[in-house]
Amino acid sequence: MLQFLENIFGPSWIVSLIAFLISTTVILIVTPVTFMMMTWFERRIVARMQDRLGPNRVGPAGLLQAVADGVKMFTKENITPRAADKWVHLIAPLVATGPVIFLFAVIPWGYGLSPVDINVSVLFVIAVSSISAVGLMMGGWGSNNKFALLGAMRAVAQMVSYEIPAVIALLSMVLFTGTMNLNKYTELQGGLPILGNTLKDVIPDLGLGWFVFTPIGLVGFMIFFICILSEGERTPFDIPEADSEIVAGYMTEYSGMKFAVFYMGQFLFNYALSMVASIIFLGGWNFPGIPQLISIAPPIGALASAVVLGAKAWFLFFVMIWLRGAFPRLRMDQLMAFAWKFLLPLALINILSAALWLTIMLWCTGDCTQNPWVFTVGGINPLGWLGNSPVLRQLVGFVLTAIINAGAFFWLLNVNRRPAGETPADLARDQAFGTASLP
Amino acid sequence: MTVEFDRGKAYVVDRGQPKLRAGQGMIAGLDVVIRHFFSAFTKKLETPDETSGVFTVQYPEERLAMPEAFRNFPILLFDDTTGQELCTSCFQCERICPPQVIHMTQAVDPTTGKPVPAVAEFMIEYDACMSCGLCAEVCPFDAIKMDHDFELATDDRAGMTVRKADLDRPVSYYETIAPTRWAEVKDGAYKKLQGNIKRRSGSIGLSPRAATAPKKAAPAAAKPAAGVAKPVAVKTAMPMAAPGKNMSEEKLARLLSIRAANVAKAGGAAPAEAEEVLATADTDDVAEAPAAVAAARPVSSGGIPFSADNLLGGVPANTTMAEDKVERLKSIRSGNLARRG
Amino acid sequence: MLKTQELQINIGPQHPSTHGVFRLVVTVDGETIVDLKPVFGYLHRNHEQLAEVSTYIQMMPFTDRLDYFNSMANNFGLAIAVEKLAGIEVPQRANYIRVLMAELTRILNHAAAVAFMINDMGAWQTPLAFGMREREKILDLFEMASGARMMCNYFRFGGIVRDLPPDFMPLLNDLMKALPTFFDETERLLRENEILLLRSEGVGILPKEVAASYSVTGPVLRASGVPYDVRKAEPYSVYNELDFDVPIGSVGDIYDRFLVRIEEMRQSYRIVQQVIERLPDTTGGHINPAMASIGKQKALKPPVGDVYGRVETPKGELGFYIVSDGSARPYRYKVRAPSFINLTPIGDMCRGHKVADVVVILGSIDIVLGEVDR
Repeated sequence: MLQFLENIFGPSWIVSLIAFLISTTVILIVTPVTFMMMTWFERRIVARMQDRLGPNRVGPAGLLQAVADGVKMFTKENITPRAADKWVHLIAPLVATGPVIFLFAVIPWGYGLSPVDINVSVLFVIAVSSISAVGLMMGGWGSNNKFALLGAMRAVAQMVSYEIPAVIALLSMVLFTGTMNLNKYTELQGGLPILGNTLKDVIPDLGLGWFVFTPIGLVGFMIFFICILSEGERTPFDIPEADSEIVAGYMTEYSGMKFAVFYMGQFLFNYALSMVASIIFLGGWNFPGIPQLISIAPPIGALASAVVLGAKAWFLFFVMIWLRGAFPRLRMDQLMAFAWKFLLPLALINILSAALWLTIMLWCTGDCTQNPWVFTVGGINPLGWLGNSPVLRQLVGFVLTAIINAGAFFWLLNVNRRPAGETPADLARDQAFGTASLP
Repeated sequence: MTVEFDRGKAYVVDRGQPKLRAGQGMIAGLDVVIRHFFSAFTKKLETPDETSGVFTVQYPEERLAMPEAFRNFPILLFDDTTGQELCTSCFQCERICPPQVIHMTQAVDPTTGKPVPAVAEFMIEYDACMSCGLCAEVCPFDAIKMDHDFELATDDRAGMTVRKADLDRPVSYYETIAPTRWAEVKDGAYKKLQGNIKRRSGSIGLSPRAATAPKKAAPAAAKPAAGVAKPVAVKTAMPMAAPGKNMSEEKLARLLSIRAANVAKAGGAAPAEAEEVLATADTDDVAEAPAAVAAARPVSSGGIPFSADNLLGGVPANTTMAEDKVERLKSIRSGNLARRG
Repeated sequence: MLKTQELQINIGPQHPSTHGVFRLVVTVDGETIVDLKPVFGYLHRNHEQLAEVSTYIQMMPFTDRLDYFNSMANNFGLAIAVEKLAGIEVPQRANYIRVLMAELTRILNHAAAVAFMINDMGAWQTPLAFGMREREKILDLFEMASGARMMCNYFRFGGIVRDLPPDFMPLLNDLMKALPTFFDETERLLRENEILLLRSEGVGILPKEVAASYSVTGPVLRASGVPYDVRKAEPYSVYNELDFDVPIGSVGDIYDRFLVRIEEMRQSYRIVQQVIERLPDTTGGHINPAMASIGKQKALKPPVGDVYGRVETPKGELGFYIVSDGSARPYRYKVRAPSFINLTPIGDMCRGHKVADVVVILGSIDIVLGEVDR
């Protein structure tokens, strides 16, 4: 293929350049359109949840509402406060949004539709996604506004705190699968729920061996999804831009297109992380029929896989909207407490579970006796009874990790619960009321 | 703590028992919301006994029926057949108006110089009116009523000071918007009107609207020559229209007439015509035939404008509206003072 | 410990959740409130002075604009005060219709107040949309009876403007079918919500002694555990003929205020049910015949003296203190505005909490700036 292209277009670097230019252009076109669709989608969905109709005037079903908004944003006056640091104020939206678009470079959009296929794409996602916090801080600081400053402080604190459980949740999956390549995750999640690829030879690939059906994947998914909500500043973690408290947080002093760029960055961040979550936990483009389609007709299969993956990401986005429609938001200290006292320990325990699972799966498979590292108790391999059947091992691993994870979940809930009689309300009651009562 | 009252007691609200919370409350909330989400696709909330389904009313296309009692801004009524206004300028509404936005002058018989039970000029500052309805309630002659038309948004502030020619509505219009309410007072109102008509002479008490109404009815109105008068016709026809589907057409007509008026004003009326209109519009000189007013109006300002300044003033183009309003107010108030003695 | 610098923030006058034009001068250390000072008066409209140049009936539409959510309850207050001053009797039917309107007002106010509080807490309009949906239905009823949705101007001295229109009752009965579903749904949506519990339990506590010493009234006082309700303490109109309970809180935090408001909606629902039952058998017209003409209302000259008339509006005790010098205009007219007085302890309630709690506490007090600034 490459040779063929070289014959036509010239040396390989030109081919690569053209290919990358094309994929860059595609990303730069697709992402803003996705953003526009997302704003429309969010408004329509929330409206239905609130017994309303939502925007339905511009274009069919209000689809062009986002275009109208864009025109409005472009024509708005671009205000820079007099006391603001002009350059920081100007650059901040770019710094916040740029890294988000970087993310789309490594995220596969479907089968074989990966703009750049690098081996450590999970690491790349984690590393690049943290950069936008700098942009938020720049915006908040450069605006020279107290609300903006508070918002930026909150944003940075929140992003930094939630990076940790998110990374550990991903780490458990990396341990589980042994790869950091997002493209590989989909292959590993074929087969059947719970059993995964273990019965590949017996039953055709149903594409349902999603990691979310395993206890480790489930807990990892929960943690990662909550962290997405927090990093993407979605309800109930939209604290940095809490409109009822600090007006719009770090975006308070932004107007026109600069505001829109911030907004776009946020929405695309949500979308990118939804895609990552879909790939890592929800089986990527796996779905009954897709593996077969890919093997029969690769171009159609690629298209179908892109649709499936997009549907999963949009479903996650729908869940975000659903949460936004139903919940109030947490307070900053509660948010921190939740991250550090609940999510982080749970993520750590999840890593232990992943290690255990791995042990059960790999311990002494094949020729056990040749392995000098095999730990035996009185000459007997403690996991010898499992034999070499991956199905049995998978089931045992499932049960054990399920017990551990569920136990950890409830244990942590219990630990975090205030003991009876010591809730703030109880304390206040004792202090304020005592036994005295007004007539 | 429980405190007993005569009928009932005080009870402490249940804060719920402390229990292990793993998000079950949040899931219940999600359930409520998603139910609404699905029912909003299938149902429309029509009657008050439902609690789900879309309850949006897509306003310009869909409209809620307005109850008879609805009150927006006051209007003056005149009799369809005789064209006589019901108002006798008894000043009751002017006195009770809490924000004091109603102003009027009483008509004077030009031959005897005595006041007549009819109103020469009537002005309501719609921009400060708070729609309390006390004027309509207090009016002993049922001459002032509350309108149902609420689509009055305008960027023309001076135009919110509305004068008699724009306030006048035929009785039949009020009958369409509030049939039972009018039926209650109909007989008394007409009886009083008959008594008052006897004491009026000439064109006193005739509504300026009434003069244009037959013109509209005549086929001549369809002539292209009446191009400027067309908005007039539409506008006069407007009050008769049922306050339902035709609302948007009516609004359109009103908009058109306002625009026409503005255009005419911007162009500047010929001074002579303006003079003429001023003469006809002089509040004391009511002996001028209303027909003359009607004839002069389309020439000078092009249709009955919503802006009262155009209507009566024939204002020279360089006079700002605000100044004109101040002048008008002053003259009417001094007139009122003089009459009250 | 690190040395930190205190920061002064102005929340308002232009701010999304100050419920109007209102300013909170907040001194924060990080996110913790060190001091808080409410600044109001931006919406002053000279209400009390206006009364001194207006006749009594002219004041009726102005009271609509005090607490623009509850114009019926405000009208009720003025009517009660002036009737007391002038010794006007109110027929039974008028009284029942008055109570009906006042209790519907309470339901609509609490539906909106609870929802606004949750909105301040960060919910994205959903509880508000549900609350507003029910409020719209009640406003439709008000429009049908009085001609206006919010500025009802429905009460007259000695009764009400006019009797209920014939199609009022069927719609009210329809609404009564919907309301329990609405209450249940609101509770299911919010009551057990962990986030709401976290945000509201133990936040903004107003101990009952403090509440009483600030002379706070209404749901805020009752949530603090004081069973004080003007409808029970000094029954006016026909409240002594109706069965209803007074819900009180046990802690006095935001959660209690939320629960008390929901329970009050249920109690108001009970009252409306009783009124609907009894309305057909009531005697008397919609207004005292002696005051039936608006001319009488206009020419009302109460005897020399002063009076304090009070009602329990959804926000608390609304009092009108009127001094008459025997003329058609009050000599002095003073409004005891519940929103204003309930707002005064906000500094005490907020101190030590976070910035995010300020707006929620403010929302839980349920103020209307039209009434605060008058």
